[in-house]
Amino acid sequence: MFEKVLIANRGEIAVRVARACRELGIKSVAVYSRADAESAVVRIADEAVNIGPPAVGKSYLHIPNIIGAALKTGADAVHPGYGFLSEDPYFAEICADSGLTFIGPRPEVMERVGDKAIARELMQDAGLPLLPGTIEPVATADAAQEIADGIGYPVIIKAVAGGGGRGMNVVWKREDLVRLYTTTRATAQAIFKNSAVYIERYLPAPRHTEVQLICDSQGNGAYFYERDCSVQRRHQKLIEEAPSIHLNAEQRRDIGERAVKGALSVGYTGAGTMEFLLDEDGSLYFMEMNARIQVEHPVSEMITGVDLIQEQIRVASGEALSVKQEDIQLSGHAIECRVNAENPANNFAPAAGRLDTYVAPGGPWTRVDSHCYPGWMISPYYDSLIAKLIVWAPDRLSAIERMERSLREFQIDGRGIHTTIPFHLSVLADEQFRSGEVSTNFLEGFMERQQQVAAA
Amino acid sequence: MSDKPDAELLQSVWAEARDLVKKLEGSTVQRFAVQAGDCKIEIERGMPTAPPAAIDSNGMQPITTPIAAGAGPGPGVAPEARAASGVFSAIGAEVDNRVPVLAPLVGTFYRSSGPDAKPFCEVGDVVEAGQVVCIVEAMKLMNEVTAPEKGKVAEIAVENGDPVEFDQVLVYLEPAE
Repeated sequence: MFEKVLIANRGEIAVRVARACRELGIKSVAVYSRADAESAVVRIADEAVNIGPPAVGKSYLHIPNIIGAALKTGADAVHPGYGFLSEDPYFAEICADSGLTFIGPRPEVMERVGDKAIARELMQDAGLPLLPGTIEPVATADAAQEIADGIGYPVIIKAVAGGGGRGMNVVWKREDLVRLYTTTRATAQAIFKNSAVYIERYLPAPRHTEVQLICDSQGNGAYFYERDCSVQRRHQKLIEEAPSIHLNAEQRRDIGERAVKGALSVGYTGAGTMEFLLDEDGSLYFMEMNARIQVEHPVSEMITGVDLIQEQIRVASGEALSVKQEDIQLSGHAIECRVNAENPANNFAPAAGRLDTYVAPGGPWTRVDSHCYPGWMISPYYDSLIAKLIVWAPDRLSAIERMERSLREFQIDGRGIHTTIPFHLSVLADEQFRSGEVSTNFLEGFMERQQQVAAA
Repeated sequence: MSDKPDAELLQSVWAEARDLVKKLEGSTVQRFAVQAGDCKIEIERGMPTAPPAAIDSNGMQPITTPIAAGAGPGPGVAPEARAASGVFSAIGAEVDNRVPVLAPLVGTFYRSSGPDAKPFCEVGDVVEAGQVVCIVEAMKLMNEVTAPEKGKVAEIAVENGDPVEFDQVLVYLEPAE
């Protein structure tokens, strides 16, 4: 097991990792930019190193400073959290070259899994279902036309190097294909410096369904069931749930096993998530793999009782998974709401500032993952996440009611501060949301209905 | 005073002073002092928009020095004090007129360009603005650190070969007359 782990991240996930280290008896090192000198992880961790000015490029993405901090403090491992350098194979390689264990997959595995085209091919070989579409990037407009005609419209053209909803275009009519193909390639080149695109069937109302898995370095893998993250705004998740109420036990077991098999087949180690789209007819299609721990991991922890960060650290240090698949039981229902410093009434514009009031909710099965405290300054340099509020209950409706109760208890205030709490409450009160009939289009329809109600 | 103030006492007095500075933001209080045993910090607030200046009223060694010098992650120095030290050591130095030369990155401090080379500067040397005073090495790259303004080297604040963090004080200069 590691002696000392350097946490190469900030905010709530840094606190999360520091807590796991504390419980495992591992010393922790926090890194902080000047803007984060007073951050919670600096107080909780055993040591802290100043790694640069506020700008992320000069601090949390500054590889030499982070490596320098690890060497300075004698850390033997680095936890990258999510975002930042967590899926940077170059950083993973430098860690290895510097004698530090990177808590995540090996660089060459990370690289392959991170390339959408390669990942799709690998997973198809492993027996995962894919949407009708190309594996290889599409080189010419003529080829694109033929392929799209073969798949059947609507199709979506996606940048191989893209993500988060950027670099994609939906083609509803045959006549638009060539034009949109050309546009997508140009945009991809401009944004990602890589113009390669692929084409696949477009599902108009899919449910974003992802499977949490962890593999160790001894050939074992386990799945921790799935999450439904369909409530998204511009491809940013707002509310996540576990499990998906649209899968039966058989489907759940089947996709979980396939996901683990796919991950093991590429030599994956560590925590990872396989993303799928669930169609209206109950078919699941592999979309991509995220080679890191994710923001919404707590809902999977709540329904299985397994600490995923501790497990992630264990397998990175060479230990076998501490649980076997048959011991991972699914119990109840968990929901997470991301409370952001954004103003829903102003198009979710960031509304940051100093927190004068911060009182988090409590009570049964109510969990708050946050780095905030009264007096903490939410700065403009980083993301707007204030806290993740997670609840568990025996069934979905009770979880919704528990979430409503907790959100109402949450007191967050400060000059200029707005939060998405009122927004979450209105979503939770919505009939369609409560019915569970939610796809990735839900939010758009919901916002329209809200506007109609306001106008009436 | 013959002994250095006790590290724990220092930390708590600093924490107290810092809290008070925050609470007094926007008020008309101009000066206050926090004292515990032999350890006293007096704070005088200047222009409303400028950061408060810490001065030592008894003419002893500036209280910031023990924290600044120990600004590595040594055992027993709480992260809180460490995090504050960058700001406060700079303030302390400002008031006793010394100009700190800060580490621009995380790495290893060297006084010279190689094991057999002469150090870039010694205490007492006068250096020009932009003159290299030391090196911070990171991942085999030597990064030259330069004096921000003309001055006389008053103190080399870290040992040759010490690991340093961003914003850590490496050298103090006395400004040129």
